[in-house]
Amino acid sequence: MKCFSRYLPYIFRPPNTILSSSCYTEADIISTVEFNHTGELLATGDKGGRVVIFQREQESKNQVHRRGEYNVYSTFQSHEPEFDYLKSLEIEEKINKIRWLPQQNAAYFLLSTNDKTVKLWKVSERDKRPEGYNLKDEEGRLRDPATITTLRVPVLRPMDLMVEATPRRVFANAHTYHINSISVNSDYETYMSADDLRINLWNFEITNQSFNIVDIKPANMEELTEVITAAEFHPHHCNTFVYSSSKGTIRLCDMRASALCDRHTKFFEEPEDPSNRSFFSEIISSISDVKFSHSGRYIMTRDYLTVKVWDLNMENRPIETYQVHDYLRSKLCSLYENDCIFDKFECVWNGSDSVIMTGSYNNFFRMFDRNTKRDVTLEASRENSKPRAILKPRKVCVGGKRRKDEISVDSLDFSKKILHTAWHPSENIIAVAATNNLYIFQDKVN
Amino acid sequence: MEFKLEAHRIVSISLGKIYNSRVQRGGIKLHKNLLVSLVLRSARQVYLSDPCPGLYLAGTAGTPMPQPGEPAAQPPAGWGEAPPPPARAAWPDTEPQPERPAATDAPQAGHPEPAATVTGAGDCLRRREEDTAEAAWGRVVGPRVAAPVGVSDVSPEGPSAGCPPAREGQRGRIPRVDGRCVPQPAEEEPSAPPALCPRKRGAAGAGRGHAGCAAPCSTPLKKPRRDGGEEDGEEEMETGNVANLINIFGSSFSGLLRKSPAGGREEEEGEESGPEAAEPGQICCDKPVLRDINPWSTAIVAF
Repeated sequence: MKCFSRYLPYIFRPPNTILSSSCYTEADIISTVEFNHTGELLATGDKGGRVVIFQREQESKNQVHRRGEYNVYSTFQSHEPEFDYLKSLEIEEKINKIRWLPQQNAAYFLLSTNDKTVKLWKVSERDKRPEGYNLKDEEGRLRDPATITTLRVPVLRPMDLMVEATPRRVFANAHTYHINSISVNSDYETYMSADDLRINLWNFEITNQSFNIVDIKPANMEELTEVITAAEFHPHHCNTFVYSSSKGTIRLCDMRASALCDRHTKFFEEPEDPSNRSFFSEIISSISDVKFSHSGRYIMTRDYLTVKVWDLNMENRPIETYQVHDYLRSKLCSLYENDCIFDKFECVWNGSDSVIMTGSYNNFFRMFDRNTKRDVTLEASRENSKPRAILKPRKVCVGGKRRKDEISVDSLDFSKKILHTAWHPSENIIAVAATNNLYIFQDKVN
Repeated sequence: MEFKLEAHRIVSISLGKIYNSRVQRGGIKLHKNLLVSLVLRSARQVYLSDPCPGLYLAGTAGTPMPQPGEPAAQPPAGWGEAPPPPARAAWPDTEPQPERPAATDAPQAGHPEPAATVTGAGDCLRRREEDTAEAAWGRVVGPRVAAPVGVSDVSPEGPSAGCPPAREGQRGRIPRVDGRCVPQPAEEEPSAPPALCPRKRGAAGAGRGHAGCAAPCSTPLKKPRRDGGEEDGEEEMETGNVANLINIFGSSFSGLLRKSPAGGREEEEGEESGPEAAEPGQICCDKPVLRDINPWSTAIVAF
């Protein structure tokens, strides 16, 4: 674990953010963070519907001590606020999820979604410009054909690099409820989108129809007891996916079994501990995120107080449970009042599946080493993050005497929450979204 | 007792959240509202199963009936009410009366209909639950239909004399702004004794109403109350107040959710009618508690 305590932080803020971190608009709040498959690009989505993509600069031989930093590569407005006139509903432009497609040519493709619509964006570079058209002059005005006496072949001349993002597909009108997840299939031809009650399977090429593969809407809505909270395809098996529910259960489904995967192939549920029963037991057992390990052998789930690792071959209980912030268990009523109990924290694996990471309050985030069983709490804050400084582990004091560097539970700032984090697919570089700020930490090079 | 207070508070907070979710940007979030309704249900269960501490105080006939200043939008059997403006219009009325327990005449009238709805919804919601207290609710709800009859007899005597005469035959409709009118379910007259029996049993503290009315009811204290009717009226009003509140939500939701992700509304109504049904079982012993506790009135005022 020692490498994690020696992170070099550098901070990137999305554009349009006011300099002071205590003063920002709600539209700047980051709502999703995702590395692409090589880790070269890092995409963030915010509540204002914008996507900002960072690119890692190439490591240069001259500055070998300075690993590639991330710079803004492209910014575009992915979603706009909409109004559904039929239902008198406003549709938020907030980007709920971004998922990258694997790179197959020079351009990059990503999926971004708000509550109702998924869009496929193509991000491509243009560094050459054609010149010498016959029918158009240099400003683009059409030339009078009568004045053309010779023909020439247009040539490409270099220009300043321009990165442009264009929406290539819009997948709309398929979800009645709010989309919470998207996941690209390992076949790279299909992807799924999940809302509270249904999961749809799309083909990238077809926007006007999708297949419904899971539907848990009861005939009588009064009988509704659970909703879908997250869904993900298996990283290697294109027929397998999992979805989590608000009741703390995970279902694994095989699309080969039937067209409608309402009946699960595997059902993961841990029996409830009756000693922990309270008014809020159901809320805190609701799973906010589910992620397959890179190996595909495990799934990790995040509920309000814990992170659990499940083996796909064992359905009756998780193989590992990590307490993220158990000191909040006695404060559930207050957290219910201020709505914090509904916060949806995400969780991520590192590239080798040996470490898992998730966020907490007070801009703390936690890492758990599955092999050594050690854990660390770190803080993403401007004050503690001077360039080249090493992150210091933090500790929350749960009562009794508070040591010098500890912070007491009552001093935690619940408005500073880290819901979204991402881990580079192969290196120890992490991206942590703290409200409107994005922190990128990387492992110190020895 | 502490659990009851806590449950009380949680119910108020939950109702507030459900209300606020209506005006949230982006539409009603099904997941969050489902969780809130689960909390509401848990709080209600605790509320009912916590044995009555026996601190029952008989209210006197002289006790003023709570002014029905609160909004009392009474939806007809279901849909199509335009809820929010009337509710808000009623706020200025309620503001000066924070002391009054949040109970109005009007909600009683809500009983027949929500009672009917609740029975069905309640069964539906609870069919997986073994809680006998909830089984008791089913019984309680039915006979409760009678309760408004008693109240309506009483109400002219009370401060609610301002009730417009039009209340006869205007079943299911109340002028919302002043909330004083009681839709008359007077047509429904099941016998009073069975109506009260389950409540008294509940009050007796067992929380189990499944014996028939033959179960030895109650302390002598309860008799005068019953005869007074007024007290029952107050109880009914207090519970009914919450019930009506739920119905406000229900109708409000129906107006909004009907056009929105379908079923969200039904889910809300189903859940909301639950707590409403929950109340009567313990009301007679909780009345003093309810009257003294501001969270109820606060909750109602807030809406």
